[in-house]
Amino acid sequence: MTSSELPAWSEPFADPRRDLRRSLRLRGVTRKWAWGDATGAGVRVGIIDSGLENDHPRLRGRVVQNVTVEMTDDGPKVVPDGTADMFGHGTACGGIILSMAPEVELVSIRVLGADLRGKGTAFAAGLEWAIEQGLQVCNLSLSSKSESLYPIFHDLADRAYFQSTVLVSAANNVPAASYPSLFSSVFSVAAHPEPDPWRVYYNPAPPVEFGAWGVDVPIAWKDGGSTVATGNSFAAPHIAGLVALILSKHPGLSPFEVKAVLASVADNPGRRHPWRHRTDAAG
Amino acid sequence: MAEPTADAAIAALVAASRRSAVGRRLQGEVEQSLLQSIVDATVRLFDAEAASIALFEHDPDRLEFRVAAGDKGAGAVGLAVPPTQGIVGYVYSTGQALALSDVGNDPRFNRDAAEQTGYVPRSIAAAPLFDEHGTLGVLQVLDKRSSPTFSLRDMELLGVFAGQATVAIAAAKVQRDTARLLASVLAEIGPELEAEQVDALVASATANLDTDDEAPFWRMVDQIARMRGMSDREMSLVADILEVVAGHAERTQRGRIGQ
Repeated sequence: MTSSELPAWSEPFADPRRDLRRSLRLRGVTRKWAWGDATGAGVRVGIIDSGLENDHPRLRGRVVQNVTVEMTDDGPKVVPDGTADMFGHGTACGGIILSMAPEVELVSIRVLGADLRGKGTAFAAGLEWAIEQGLQVCNLSLSSKSESLYPIFHDLADRAYFQSTVLVSAANNVPAASYPSLFSSVFSVAAHPEPDPWRVYYNPAPPVEFGAWGVDVPIAWKDGGSTVATGNSFAAPHIAGLVALILSKHPGLSPFEVKAVLASVADNPGRRHPWRHRTDAAG
Repeated sequence: MAEPTADAAIAALVAASRRSAVGRRLQGEVEQSLLQSIVDATVRLFDAEAASIALFEHDPDRLEFRVAAGDKGAGAVGLAVPPTQGIVGYVYSTGQALALSDVGNDPRFNRDAAEQTGYVPRSIAAAPLFDEHGTLGVLQVLDKRSSPTFSLRDMELLGVFAGQATVAIAAAKVQRDTARLLASVLAEIGPELEAEQVDALVASATANLDTDDEAPFWRMVDQIARMRGMSDREMSLVADILEVVAGHAERTQRGRIGQ
Protein backbone atom coordinates (compact mmCIF):
# COMPACT_ATOMS: atom_id res chain seq x y z
CA MET A 1 0.00 0.00 0.00
CA THR A 2 1.45 3.35 -0.92
CA SER A 3 1.12 6.19 1.53
CA SER A 4 -1.30 8.09 -0.69
CA GLU A 5 -3.78 5.24 -0.43
CA LEU A 6 -3.93 5.38 3.35
CA PRO A 7 -7.18 6.81 4.64
CA ALA A 8 -7.58 9.88 6.80
CA TRP A 9 -8.05 8.26 10.17
CA SER A 10 -10.84 10.48 11.44
CA GLU A 11 -12.99 9.94 8.35
CA PRO A 12 -15.27 7.17 9.74
CA PHE A 13 -16.02 9.22 12.86
CA ALA A 14 -17.18 12.20 10.80
CA ASP A 15 -20.19 10.21 9.60
CA PRO A 16 -20.97 7.40 12.07
CA ARG A 17 -24.30 6.60 10.41
CA ARG A 18 -22.53 5.70 7.20
CA ASP A 19 -19.35 4.04 8.40
CA LEU A 20 -19.95 2.69 11.88
CA ARG A 21 -23.17 0.72 11.58
CA ARG A 22 -21.57 -2.56 12.51
CA SER A 23 -21.27 -3.12 16.23
CA LEU A 24 -21.12 -5.97 18.69
CA ARG A 25 -23.34 -5.86 21.77
CA LEU A 26 -22.36 -8.20 24.56
CA ARG A 27 -25.27 -9.10 26.80
CA GLY A 28 -24.89 -7.52 30.20
CA VAL A 29 -21.91 -5.39 29.20
CA THR A 30 -23.40 -1.92 29.63
CA ARG A 31 -21.73 1.34 30.58
CA LYS A 32 -23.05 0.86 34.09
CA TRP A 33 -21.42 -2.56 34.30
CA ALA A 34 -18.25 -1.31 32.60
CA TRP A 35 -17.49 1.77 34.69
CA GLY A 36 -20.54 2.75 36.75
CA ASP A 37 -19.38 4.34 40.06
CA ALA A 38 -15.74 3.85 39.09
CA THR A 39 -13.25 6.62 39.84
CA GLY A 40 -10.03 5.19 38.46
CA ALA A 41 -8.83 4.43 41.99
CA GLY A 42 -6.02 1.87 42.09
CA VAL A 43 -4.99 2.47 38.48
CA ARG A 44 -1.69 4.07 37.51
CA VAL A 45 -1.56 5.77 34.12
CA GLY A 46 1.72 6.63 32.39
CA ILE A 47 1.81 9.80 30.30
CA ILE A 48 4.62 9.38 27.76
CA ASP A 49 4.91 12.96 26.58
CA SER A 50 6.44 16.37 27.33
CA GLY A 51 6.25 16.05 31.14
CA LEU A 52 3.56 16.89 33.70
CA GLU A 53 3.15 20.13 35.58
CA ASN A 54 2.42 18.57 38.97
CA ASP A 55 0.97 21.70 40.57
CA HIS A 56 -1.36 22.59 37.70
CA PRO A 57 -4.87 23.08 39.16
CA ARG A 58 -6.29 20.43 36.83
CA LEU A 59 -3.81 17.79 37.96
CA ARG A 60 -4.74 18.33 41.62
CA GLY A 61 -1.72 16.57 43.07
CA ARG A 62 -2.47 13.29 41.31
CA VAL A 63 1.04 12.97 39.87
CA VAL A 64 2.96 10.34 41.82
CA GLN A 65 6.21 10.17 39.86
CA ASN A 66 8.12 12.15 37.21
CA VAL A 67 10.90 10.54 35.21
CA THR A 68 12.71 11.35 32.00
CA VAL A 69 15.10 9.59 29.67
CA GLU A 70 18.72 10.64 29.68
CA MET A 71 20.82 9.79 26.63
CA THR A 72 24.17 8.55 27.98
CA ASP A 73 27.19 6.97 26.31
CA ASP A 74 25.89 3.61 27.52
CA GLY A 75 22.51 4.21 25.92
CA PRO A 76 19.28 5.70 27.23
CA LYS A 77 18.75 5.77 30.99
CA VAL A 78 15.56 6.55 32.93
CA VAL A 79 16.21 9.12 35.68
CA PRO A 80 14.06 11.27 38.02
CA ASP A 81 12.69 14.43 36.39
CA GLY A 82 11.45 17.82 37.55
CA THR A 83 7.79 18.70 37.76
CA ALA A 84 7.56 20.91 34.69
CA ASP A 85 6.08 20.42 31.25
CA MET A 86 8.17 21.52 28.28
CA PHE A 87 5.22 22.26 26.02
CA GLY A 88 2.01 21.86 28.02
CA HIS A 89 0.93 18.85 26.01
CA GLY A 90 1.52 16.17 28.65
CA THR A 91 -0.35 18.27 31.19
CA ALA A 92 -3.24 18.60 28.71
CA CYS A 93 -3.44 14.80 28.36
CA GLY A 94 -3.21 14.25 32.14
CA GLY A 95 -5.97 16.82 32.71
CA ILE A 96 -8.32 15.07 30.27
CA ILE A 97 -7.73 11.68 31.91
CA LEU A 98 -8.36 13.09 35.40
CA SER A 99 -11.55 14.82 34.24
CA MET A 100 -12.94 11.34 33.54
CA ALA A 101 -11.14 9.20 36.12
CA PRO A 102 -10.41 11.63 38.97
CA GLU A 103 -8.69 9.14 41.26
CA VAL A 104 -6.09 7.62 38.95
CA GLU A 105 -2.42 8.14 39.76
CA LEU A 106 -0.41 9.72 36.98
CA VAL A 107 3.20 8.89 36.18
CA SER A 108 5.04 11.33 33.92
CA ILE A 109 7.54 9.77 31.53
CA ARG A 110 9.06 12.71 29.69
CA VAL A 111 10.54 11.79 26.31
CA LEU A 112 10.30 15.23 24.67
CA GLY A 113 12.08 18.51 25.19
CA ALA A 114 15.58 19.88 25.69
CA ASP A 115 17.93 17.19 24.38
CA LEU A 116 15.36 14.59 23.44
CA ARG A 117 14.10 16.06 20.20
CA GLY A 118 12.80 13.43 17.86
CA LYS A 119 14.87 10.73 19.46
CA GLY A 120 12.88 7.58 18.89
CA THR A 121 15.26 5.66 21.12
CA ALA A 122 14.35 7.88 24.11
CA PHE A 123 10.69 7.26 23.39
CA ALA A 124 11.28 3.49 23.20
CA ALA A 125 13.28 3.55 26.46
CA GLY A 126 10.51 5.49 28.22
CA LEU A 127 7.90 3.06 26.99
CA GLU A 128 9.98 0.07 28.07
CA TRP A 129 10.35 1.56 31.55
CA ALA A 130 6.58 2.13 31.80
CA ILE A 131 5.94 -1.50 30.86
CA GLU A 132 8.53 -2.75 33.37
CA GLN A 133 6.84 -0.71 36.11
CA GLY A 134 3.62 -2.58 35.41
CA LEU A 135 1.55 0.57 34.79
CA GLN A 136 -1.95 -0.52 33.80
CA VAL A 137 -2.45 2.17 31.13
CA CYS A 138 -0.07 4.31 29.07
CA ASN A 139 -1.12 7.32 27.00
CA LEU A 140 1.04 7.83 23.91
CA SER A 141 0.35 10.95 21.93
CA LEU A 142 3.44 10.44 19.84
CA SER A 143 4.90 7.75 17.67
CA SER A 144 8.04 7.08 15.70
CA LYS A 145 8.50 6.89 11.95
CA SER A 146 11.90 5.28 12.20
CA GLU A 147 11.97 1.99 10.27
CA SER A 148 14.92 0.85 12.35
CA LEU A 149 12.86 1.12 15.55
CA TYR A 150 9.99 -0.91 14.12
CA PRO A 151 11.13 -4.24 15.64
CA ILE A 152 11.81 -2.61 19.03
CA PHE A 153 8.36 -1.05 19.22
CA HIS A 154 6.81 -4.26 17.99
CA ASP A 155 8.49 -6.19 20.77
CA LEU A 156 7.48 -3.58 23.37
CA ALA A 157 3.86 -3.57 22.19
CA ASP A 158 3.76 -7.37 22.48
CA ARG A 159 5.29 -7.28 25.96
CA ALA A 160 2.71 -4.69 27.04
CA TYR A 161 -0.12 -6.74 25.59
CA PHE A 162 0.96 -10.01 27.19
CA GLN A 163 1.29 -8.45 30.64
CA SER A 164 -1.98 -6.48 30.28
CA THR A 165 -0.59 -2.96 30.04
CA VAL A 166 -2.99 -1.06 27.80
CA LEU A 167 -1.22 1.24 25.34
CA VAL A 168 -3.51 4.02 24.12
CA SER A 169 -2.02 5.72 21.10
CA ALA A 170 -3.02 8.78 19.06
CA ALA A 171 -3.13 7.96 15.36
CA ASN A 172 -1.22 10.31 13.11
CA ASN A 173 -3.72 12.11 10.97
CA VAL A 174 -1.16 12.38 8.24
CA PRO A 175 -0.87 9.33 6.02
CA ALA A 176 2.37 7.56 6.85
CA ALA A 177 3.49 4.54 8.80
CA SER A 178 4.09 5.23 12.48
CA TYR A 179 5.03 2.97 15.36
CA PRO A 180 3.50 1.78 17.59
CA SER A 181 0.35 3.84 16.96
CA LEU A 182 -1.07 1.56 14.30
CA PHE A 183 -0.07 -1.84 15.74
CA SER A 184 -3.00 -4.19 16.26
CA SER A 185 -2.26 -4.66 19.97
CA VAL A 186 -2.51 -0.97 20.88
CA PHE A 187 -5.67 1.13 21.27
CA SER A 188 -5.34 3.42 18.27
CA VAL A 189 -7.47 6.55 18.56
CA ALA A 190 -8.56 9.31 16.17
CA ALA A 191 -10.71 12.36 16.84
CA HIS A 192 -14.44 12.84 16.39
CA PRO A 193 -15.88 16.35 16.54
CA GLU A 194 -18.78 15.87 18.98
CA PRO A 195 -18.15 17.81 22.21
CA ASP A 196 -18.79 14.93 24.62
CA PRO A 197 -15.96 13.23 26.52
CA TRP A 198 -18.08 10.11 27.00
CA ARG A 199 -18.93 9.62 23.34
CA VAL A 200 -16.83 6.80 21.96
CA TYR A 201 -16.95 5.01 18.64
CA TYR A 202 -15.59 1.62 17.71
CA ASN A 203 -14.34 1.46 14.14
CA PRO A 204 -14.74 -2.04 12.69
CA ALA A 205 -12.39 -1.07 9.83
CA PRO A 206 -8.97 -0.65 11.48
CA PRO A 207 -6.10 0.30 11.80
CA VAL A 208 -7.68 3.05 13.89
CA GLU A 209 -10.09 1.26 16.23
CA PHE A 210 -11.56 4.00 18.42
CA GLY A 211 -12.90 7.52 18.01
CA ALA A 212 -13.13 10.02 20.86
CA TRP A 213 -13.62 13.76 21.27
CA GLY A 214 -10.68 15.62 19.76
CA VAL A 215 -12.01 18.87 18.28
CA ASP A 216 -12.10 22.13 20.24
CA VAL A 217 -11.35 20.36 23.51
CA PRO A 218 -10.79 22.69 26.48
CA ILE A 219 -7.44 21.62 27.88
CA ALA A 220 -4.92 22.39 30.60
CA TRP A 221 -1.78 24.06 29.23
CA LYS A 222 1.62 25.02 30.59
CA ASP A 223 2.23 27.40 33.49
CA GLY A 224 -1.15 26.72 35.04
CA GLY A 225 -2.89 27.87 31.88
CA SER A 226 -5.62 26.51 29.67
CA THR A 227 -6.56 26.67 26.02
CA VAL A 228 -8.73 24.97 23.40
CA ALA A 229 -7.19 22.37 21.14
CA THR A 230 -7.83 20.03 18.22
CA GLY A 231 -5.96 16.87 17.32
CA ASN A 232 -5.90 13.11 17.70
CA SER A 233 -3.54 13.56 20.61
CA PHE A 234 -6.43 15.04 22.60
CA ALA A 235 -8.75 12.18 21.60
CA ALA A 236 -6.41 9.46 22.92
CA PRO A 237 -6.56 10.56 26.59
CA HIS A 238 -10.36 10.34 26.51
CA ILE A 239 -10.00 6.64 25.69
CA ALA A 240 -7.19 6.29 28.27
CA GLY A 241 -9.59 7.77 30.85
CA LEU A 242 -12.31 5.27 29.98
CA VAL A 243 -9.85 2.37 30.06
CA ALA A 244 -8.66 3.51 33.50
CA LEU A 245 -12.25 3.54 34.75
CA ILE A 246 -12.91 0.07 33.34
CA LEU A 247 -9.72 -1.32 34.88
CA SER A 248 -10.43 0.25 38.25
CA LYS A 249 -13.76 -1.52 38.33
CA HIS A 250 -12.56 -4.73 36.70
CA PRO A 251 -8.89 -5.16 37.60
CA GLY A 252 -7.00 -7.72 35.58
CA LEU A 253 -8.94 -7.47 32.32
CA SER A 254 -6.65 -8.06 29.36
CA PRO A 255 -6.31 -5.44 26.60
CA PHE A 256 -8.35 -7.71 24.34
CA GLU A 257 -11.16 -7.83 26.89
CA VAL A 258 -11.06 -4.06 27.46
CA LYS A 259 -11.36 -3.50 23.71
CA ALA A 260 -14.38 -5.81 23.61
CA VAL A 261 -16.00 -3.89 26.50
CA LEU A 262 -15.41 -0.55 24.76
CA ALA A 263 -16.76 -1.90 21.47
CA SER A 264 -19.83 -3.21 23.26
CA VAL A 265 -20.72 0.09 24.91
CA ALA A 266 -19.67 2.31 22.00
CA ASP A 267 -22.04 4.93 20.56
CA ASN A 268 -22.10 3.37 17.12
CA PRO A 269 -25.55 3.77 15.57
CA GLY A 270 -27.85 0.77 15.68
CA ARG A 271 -28.03 0.41 19.45
CA ARG A 272 -31.53 -0.06 20.76
CA HIS A 273 -31.13 2.22 23.73
CA PRO A 274 -28.51 4.83 22.95
CA TRP A 275 -28.34 6.24 26.47
CA ARG A 276 -25.19 7.56 27.95
CA HIS A 277 -24.10 6.88 31.46
CA ARG A 278 -21.98 9.31 33.42
CA THR A 279 -20.39 8.20 36.64
CA ASP A 280 -21.25 10.20 39.75
CA ALA A 281 -17.64 10.93 40.43
CA ALA A 282 -17.00 12.34 37.01
CA GLY A 283 -20.05 14.56 37.28
CA MET B 1 44.93 3.73 7.15
CA ALA B 2 47.52 3.96 4.35
CA GLU B 3 48.13 7.63 3.67
CA PRO B 4 47.74 7.78 -0.14
CA THR B 5 44.38 5.97 0.05
CA ALA B 6 43.20 8.26 2.82
CA ASP B 7 44.20 11.33 0.79
CA ALA B 8 42.37 10.01 -2.24
CA ALA B 9 39.31 9.29 -0.13
CA ILE B 10 39.32 12.79 1.37
CA ALA B 11 39.75 14.28 -2.10
CA ALA B 12 36.76 12.29 -3.30
CA LEU B 13 34.70 13.49 -0.34
CA VAL B 14 35.70 17.09 -0.99
CA ALA B 15 34.70 16.74 -4.63
CA ALA B 16 31.36 15.20 -3.63
CA SER B 17 30.76 18.03 -1.15
CA ARG B 18 31.43 20.61 -3.80
CA ARG B 19 29.08 18.96 -6.24
CA SER B 20 26.46 18.77 -3.52
CA ALA B 21 26.90 22.46 -2.68
CA VAL B 22 26.58 23.40 -6.34
CA GLY B 23 23.46 21.27 -6.61
CA ARG B 24 21.98 22.94 -3.58
CA ARG B 25 22.74 26.34 -5.04
CA LEU B 26 21.06 25.42 -8.30
CA GLN B 27 18.07 23.79 -6.64
CA GLY B 28 17.61 26.27 -3.83
CA GLU B 29 15.44 28.71 -5.69
CA VAL B 30 13.32 25.94 -7.10
CA GLU B 31 12.65 24.57 -3.63
CA GLN B 32 11.94 28.03 -2.30
CA SER B 33 9.47 28.89 -5.05
CA LEU B 34 7.65 25.56 -4.73
CA LEU B 35 7.31 26.03 -0.97
CA GLN B 36 6.14 29.60 -1.53
CA SER B 37 3.42 28.40 -3.89
CA ILE B 38 2.27 25.93 -1.26
CA VAL B 39 1.89 28.55 1.50
CA ASP B 40 0.22 30.89 -0.99
CA ALA B 41 -2.33 28.18 -1.77
CA THR B 42 -2.75 27.34 1.93
CA VAL B 43 -3.49 30.91 2.93
CA ARG B 44 -6.02 31.32 0.11
CA LEU B 45 -7.81 28.05 0.69
CA PHE B 46 -8.10 28.54 4.43
CA ASP B 47 -8.81 32.25 4.00
CA ALA B 48 -6.28 32.71 6.79
CA GLU B 49 -4.26 35.65 8.04
CA ALA B 50 -0.98 33.81 7.52
CA ALA B 51 0.65 30.52 6.59
CA SER B 52 4.30 29.57 6.82
CA ILE B 53 6.74 26.68 6.59
CA ALA B 54 9.59 26.19 9.05
CA LEU B 55 12.34 23.69 8.23
CA PHE B 56 14.72 22.02 10.64
CA GLU B 57 18.34 23.16 10.42
CA HIS B 58 21.45 22.00 12.33
CA ASP B 59 24.07 23.94 14.31
CA PRO B 60 22.35 25.19 16.27
CA ASP B 61 19.26 22.98 16.11
CA ARG B 62 16.41 25.23 15.08
CA LEU B 63 13.23 25.50 13.06
CA GLU B 64 13.72 28.23 10.52
CA PHE B 65 10.76 29.88 8.81
CA ARG B 66 11.61 29.74 5.13
CA VAL B 67 8.47 30.97 3.40
CA ALA B 68 5.30 32.74 4.49
CA ALA B 69 2.15 34.13 2.91
CA GLY B 70 -0.85 36.17 3.91
CA ASP B 71 -1.38 39.68 5.23
CA LYS B 72 0.22 38.86 8.56
CA GLY B 73 2.76 36.34 7.37
CA ALA B 74 5.72 38.34 6.09
CA GLY B 75 7.34 38.94 9.49
CA ALA B 76 7.96 35.24 10.03
CA VAL B 77 10.46 34.66 7.21
CA GLY B 78 13.98 34.20 8.53
CA LEU B 79 12.81 33.78 12.11
CA ALA B 80 14.16 30.70 13.90
CA VAL B 81 12.69 29.00 16.97
CA PRO B 82 14.14 26.17 19.09
CA PRO B 83 12.60 22.80 18.23
CA THR B 84 11.91 22.28 21.92
CA GLN B 85 9.47 25.16 22.28
CA GLY B 86 6.03 26.22 21.32
CA ILE B 87 3.42 24.61 19.15
CA VAL B 88 5.64 24.39 16.10
CA GLY B 89 8.32 22.69 18.23
CA TYR B 90 5.83 20.21 19.62
CA VAL B 91 4.47 19.30 16.21
CA TYR B 92 8.03 18.91 14.91
CA SER B 93 9.10 16.76 17.88
CA THR B 94 6.08 14.46 17.92
CA GLY B 95 5.00 14.42 14.30
CA GLN B 96 1.45 15.01 15.56
CA ALA B 97 -0.70 17.61 13.84
CA LEU B 98 -2.62 19.84 16.22
CA ALA B 99 -4.55 23.07 16.47
CA LEU B 100 -5.01 25.52 19.33
CA SER B 101 -7.47 28.37 19.61
CA ASP B 102 -7.73 31.19 22.10
CA VAL B 103 -3.94 31.24 22.19
CA GLY B 104 -3.77 35.03 21.90
CA ASN B 105 -5.87 35.45 25.02
CA ASP B 106 -3.66 33.22 27.08
CA PRO B 107 -0.79 35.25 28.50
CA ARG B 108 1.25 32.06 28.83
CA PHE B 109 1.21 31.30 25.14
CA ASN B 110 4.69 31.50 23.67
CA ARG B 111 4.25 35.15 22.78
CA ASP B 112 7.92 35.92 22.40
CA ALA B 113 8.22 34.17 19.09
CA ALA B 114 4.83 35.42 17.95
CA GLU B 115 5.66 39.01 18.78
CA GLN B 116 8.93 38.83 16.88
CA THR B 117 6.86 38.27 13.76
CA GLY B 118 4.81 41.35 14.58
CA TYR B 119 1.65 39.28 14.86
CA VAL B 120 0.10 37.36 17.77
CA PRO B 121 -2.53 34.94 16.47
CA ARG B 122 -5.79 33.89 18.12
CA SER B 123 -5.67 30.40 16.65
CA ILE B 124 -3.03 28.22 15.07
CA ALA B 125 -3.01 24.87 13.26
CA ALA B 126 0.22 23.04 12.51
CA ALA B 127 1.07 19.83 10.66
CA PRO B 128 4.42 18.05 10.35
CA LEU B 129 6.26 17.62 7.05
CA PHE B 130 7.76 14.18 7.07
CA ASP B 131 9.25 11.66 4.73
CA GLU B 132 10.30 8.08 5.39
CA HIS B 133 13.34 9.22 7.37
CA GLY B 134 11.61 11.53 9.80
CA THR B 135 10.23 15.01 10.29
CA LEU B 136 11.68 17.80 8.13
CA GLY B 137 9.67 20.75 9.38
CA VAL B 138 6.24 22.16 10.06
CA LEU B 139 3.50 23.87 8.05
CA GLN B 140 1.40 26.26 10.11
CA VAL B 141 -1.69 28.35 9.49
CA LEU B 142 -2.73 31.29 11.65
CA ASP B 143 -6.27 32.59 12.15
CA LYS B 144 -8.85 31.35 9.72
CA ARG B 145 -11.01 34.39 9.04
CA SER B 146 -14.30 32.49 8.78
CA SER B 147 -14.03 30.64 12.11
CA PRO B 148 -12.29 31.00 15.48
CA THR B 149 -11.20 27.33 15.38
CA PHE B 150 -10.01 24.67 12.97
CA SER B 151 -12.15 21.65 12.06
CA LEU B 152 -11.13 18.04 11.41
CA ARG B 153 -11.50 18.74 7.71
CA ASP B 154 -9.09 21.66 8.08
CA MET B 155 -6.56 19.39 9.76
CA GLU B 156 -6.88 16.88 6.98
CA LEU B 157 -6.43 19.55 4.34
CA LEU B 158 -3.42 20.89 6.16
CA GLY B 159 -1.98 17.37 6.11
CA VAL B 160 -2.43 17.27 2.32
CA PHE B 161 -0.58 20.57 1.90
CA ALA B 162 2.15 19.35 4.23
CA GLY B 163 2.49 16.30 1.99
CA GLN B 164 2.91 18.54 -1.04
CA ALA B 165 5.60 20.52 0.72
CA THR B 166 7.43 17.31 1.59
CA VAL B 167 7.41 16.26 -2.05
CA ALA B 168 8.80 19.67 -3.05
CA ILE B 169 11.61 19.31 -0.54
CA ALA B 170 12.36 15.69 -1.34
CA ALA B 171 14.07 16.45 -4.65
CA ALA B 172 16.41 19.05 -3.19
CA LYS B 173 16.84 17.49 0.23
CA VAL B 174 20.05 15.61 -0.40
CA GLN B 175 21.74 18.76 -1.63
CA ARG B 176 20.29 20.73 1.28
CA ASP B 177 22.32 18.82 3.79
CA THR B 178 25.78 17.94 2.53
CA ALA B 179 27.16 16.94 5.92
CA ARG B 180 24.30 14.54 6.57
CA LEU B 181 24.68 13.01 3.13
CA LEU B 182 28.40 12.38 3.66
CA ALA B 183 27.86 11.01 7.16
CA SER B 184 25.26 8.54 5.97
CA VAL B 185 27.45 7.37 3.08
CA LEU B 186 30.46 6.97 5.39
CA ALA B 187 28.44 4.99 7.90
CA GLU B 188 27.35 2.71 5.09
CA ILE B 189 30.75 2.04 3.53
CA GLY B 190 32.73 1.97 6.77
CA PRO B 191 30.59 0.39 9.45
CA GLU B 192 33.66 0.01 11.67
CA LEU B 193 34.16 3.79 11.83
CA GLU B 194 33.36 5.43 15.17
CA ALA B 195 30.91 8.34 15.21
CA GLU B 196 33.77 10.73 16.04
CA GLN B 197 35.80 9.49 13.08
CA VAL B 198 32.84 10.02 10.77
CA ASP B 199 32.37 13.54 12.16
CA ALA B 200 36.05 14.33 11.67
CA LEU B 201 36.03 13.07 8.07
CA VAL B 202 32.87 15.04 7.28
CA ALA B 203 34.35 18.15 8.86
CA SER B 204 37.54 17.93 6.84
CA ALA B 205 35.66 17.30 3.61
CA THR B 206 33.36 20.28 4.07
CA ALA B 207 35.72 22.68 5.85
CA ASN B 208 37.04 24.45 2.80
CA LEU B 209 33.83 24.48 0.88
CA ASP B 210 33.85 27.96 -0.52
CA THR B 211 30.63 29.60 0.61
CA ASP B 212 31.70 33.18 0.00
CA ASP B 213 28.76 34.46 -2.04
CA GLU B 214 30.97 36.92 -3.86
CA ALA B 215 33.55 34.37 -4.96
CA PRO B 216 33.59 34.25 -8.79
CA PHE B 217 32.75 30.54 -8.88
CA TRP B 218 29.57 30.94 -6.83
CA ARG B 219 28.56 34.03 -8.75
CA MET B 220 28.73 31.92 -11.86
CA VAL B 221 26.65 29.14 -10.28
CA ASP B 222 24.08 31.72 -9.23
CA GLN B 223 23.91 33.11 -12.74
CA ILE B 224 23.34 29.63 -14.09
CA ALA B 225 20.57 29.09 -11.53
CA ARG B 226 18.91 32.26 -12.83
CA MET B 227 18.99 30.91 -16.37
CA ARG B 228 16.44 28.20 -15.65
CA GLY B 229 13.60 30.29 -16.99
CA MET B 230 15.32 31.03 -20.28
CA SER B 231 14.16 29.97 -23.70
CA ASP B 232 16.10 27.34 -25.66
CA ARG B 233 17.45 30.05 -27.95
CA GLU B 234 18.84 32.12 -25.10
CA MET B 235 20.18 29.01 -23.47
CA SER B 236 22.08 27.96 -26.60
CA LEU B 237 23.45 31.49 -26.93
CA VAL B 238 24.82 31.26 -23.37
CA ALA B 239 26.27 27.83 -24.13
CA ASP B 240 28.05 29.30 -27.20
CA ILE B 241 29.48 32.15 -25.12
CA LEU B 242 30.69 29.70 -22.46
CA GLU B 243 32.31 27.55 -25.13
CA VAL B 244 34.26 30.55 -26.46
CA VAL B 245 35.35 31.51 -22.92
CA ALA B 246 36.35 27.93 -22.08
CA GLY B 247 38.30 27.66 -25.36
CA HIS B 248 40.10 30.89 -24.56
CA ALA B 249 40.92 29.64 -21.05
CA GLU B 250 42.33 26.38 -22.42
CA ARG B 251 44.52 28.18 -24.94
CA THR B 252 45.81 30.55 -22.27
CA GLN B 253 46.63 27.60 -20.02
CA ARG B 254 48.38 25.70 -22.80
CA GLY B 255 50.36 28.86 -23.57
CA ARG B 256 51.46 29.07 -19.94
CA ILE B 257 52.49 25.42 -19.84
CA GLY B 258 54.35 25.81 -23.12
CA GLN B 259 56.41 28.74 -21.83
